[in-house]
Amino acid sequence: MSQRLNNLLTKKNAAGEKVLSIYVTAGFPEKDATVDIIFALIESGVDFIELGMPFSDPIADGPVIQNASQKALDNGISMNEIFDVVKTIRPKSDIPILLMGYINPVMRYGMDAFIQKAAEVKADGFILPDWPLEESIEYIDLLKRNDLDLIHLIAPNTPKNRIKQIDDISSSFIYCVAYTGVTGLNSQITDETKAFLSHLKSNLKHPFIVGFGVKTHEDFKNFTQFANGVIVGTRFIQVLENTPKEKRTGTISNFIQSIRG
Amino acid sequence: MSNLKTKTEKKGYFGPYGGQFIPETLRPALLQLEEAYEAFKNSQEFQDKFKWELKEYVGRPTPLYFAANLTKHYKGGKIYLKREDLNHTGAHKINNAIGQILLAQFMKKKRIIAETGAGQHGVATATVAARAGLECVVYMGAEDMERQYPNVQRMRMLGAAVEPVHSGTATLKDATNEALRDWLKNVEHTHYIIGSAVGPYPFPVIVRDFQKIIGEETREQINEKANRLPDYILACVGGGSNAIGIFYPFLSDKNVKLIGVEASGKGIDSGEHSATLSRGAAGVFHGMRTYLLQDSEGQVQLPYSLSAGLDYPGVGPEHSFLKDQQRVDYVYADDRQALDAAKLLTRLEGIIPALESAHALAYLEELMPKTKSDDIIIINLSGRGDKDMNIYSEYLK
Ligand SMILES: Cc1ncc(COP(=O)(O)O)c(C=O)c1O
Repeated sequence: MSQRLNNLLTKKNAAGEKVLSIYVTAGFPEKDATVDIIFALIESGVDFIELGMPFSDPIADGPVIQNASQKALDNGISMNEIFDVVKTIRPKSDIPILLMGYINPVMRYGMDAFIQKAAEVKADGFILPDWPLEESIEYIDLLKRNDLDLIHLIAPNTPKNRIKQIDDISSSFIYCVAYTGVTGLNSQITDETKAFLSHLKSNLKHPFIVGFGVKTHEDFKNFTQFANGVIVGTRFIQVLENTPKEKRTGTISNFIQSIRG
Repeated sequence: MSNLKTKTEKKGYFGPYGGQFIPETLRPALLQLEEAYEAFKNSQEFQDKFKWELKEYVGRPTPLYFAANLTKHYKGGKIYLKREDLNHTGAHKINNAIGQILLAQFMKKKRIIAETGAGQHGVATATVAARAGLECVVYMGAEDMERQYPNVQRMRMLGAAVEPVHSGTATLKDATNEALRDWLKNVEHTHYIIGSAVGPYPFPVIVRDFQKIIGEETREQINEKANRLPDYILACVGGGSNAIGIFYPFLSDKNVKLIGVEASGKGIDSGEHSATLSRGAAGVFHGMRTYLLQDSEGQVQLPYSLSAGLDYPGVGPEHSFLKDQQRVDYVYADDRQALDAAKLLTRLEGIIPALESAHALAYLEELMPKTKSDDIIIINLSGRGDKDMNIYSEYLK
């Protein structure tokens, strides 16, 4: 288990505070932009980072993150350069960094080599939506030995016994997808969503954080009535797209404030 | 016959290939599909219905035609064509669509989605959806819509919505991405009729089982005509459904040589091809572990073939397994060779083949000189070439 991530979740929980995490695609908008973006996020008080490892065929992503991924690949970002981002951040900050992406580039790097390298640069774990329980189970021990968390996802249509199974195998928090679909859709909190989130709130041993479709302060408020925090992805990528480079740091700070409220 | 060769293997795997590399959201749908398929397999009523549909609506069995002129041309063994082009809608794709619409109805799904490359699977799906009275959306790469336009028109005539896909190379891989994204969103009421023996388990098994009728008929027909099994069976390989369909019933007959022909596009060393099994490496794509065209960073490489149905960077996981087992020999033919083969068949036999099927025919050039006059060679003629007339007309100029 990642100590940094665990400390964060414990501290937030004790203080009754909610977690705000930001997803950013490595190598976007420019190849070398990511370190500065992450420092700006840290300055703005973001609690942890999801660092996106771009993939050519991101089936769980909507058009905004698809385009960011393609742009990053066109910029020539490589897996080792993504590790370098973490390595550069680490001496200056203990912010938890989770690597998020798809399983093929990870397997291509080599599962063992990837885990070893992630531990070496002091990343905190992985979010790999196309690497479910059944396929990843054989790596649980190796991940544990390297203090890395594999964050599992659950969706509104995940059966209750499956939710328990995922809770049992999880090591830090659970990633809750707020709706069925890809990233970037507008989430509406229906009665069904509320029932789902309430179920999680009263049944999970682990904290859970809501991602997919969280875009505004309103969403932040609504979801954190149930969840321990939220992850903002698509809307942050759009902010980066729409902001000239010189104004980036200031805009990031304003954006984070606007989400937290 | 079980496709899972050893007991220690995980469910849904062919050796190390296959599996379910999918977001959690799709898991309930795949479990539901697996259960529906189990019920289907064990129900005589369902099986009878499937067979009835294939006979009365699709027009099966398709002939196993002795191609006398082609045989004379090559001066080698006897060449037979399994005439999947004579199926209703013009390709083998309808076999799978007929089976899967029965599953969709069993699961009480209200909406059907599909991806298509050449448009044959899209047409087959639009056909069965129209008949079942279900809403149908077909994702098709913008590039493919252009090169296979007649099929776009057919789908629209059948009442399907054809959604152009512009991402990536705007071909089959991107259409599949978009179909998967749609399914993630609408999984509750939608069934995804996948068009080849690809994707997460149980799709590769289901599609193979619905296509194995090709091989079962072939076996009976060649026994009737020649009183023995063939020496060679050839099929083109895109995702691999027509190939596994004709190969599967012969897998245990070690004397029957099975040959899968992929598309080498502008040449196997040109970097522009779709020869996944010849040039790819194991990876994870569209929910399955399989051979994949990818770069050193694990990014999927852009495939190329003039033939939209073969223009795919992955391949069905069972083929990856059969390659490693060396049970099937996977070879390739390029654009030019396929075009030449299409013309040759048309001029000698009066049959205009689909450009996909023409890749299997093209390999005869290499194979036939090695055959003896009493050898029997069967080619799966997976579809007809009406959809390719634009490309063929260009070629004739
Ligand atoms: C006539 C025909 N043959 C072959 C294929 C390739 O698919 P598969 O390899 O699944 O048979 C297609 C795909 O569109 C097709 O239309």
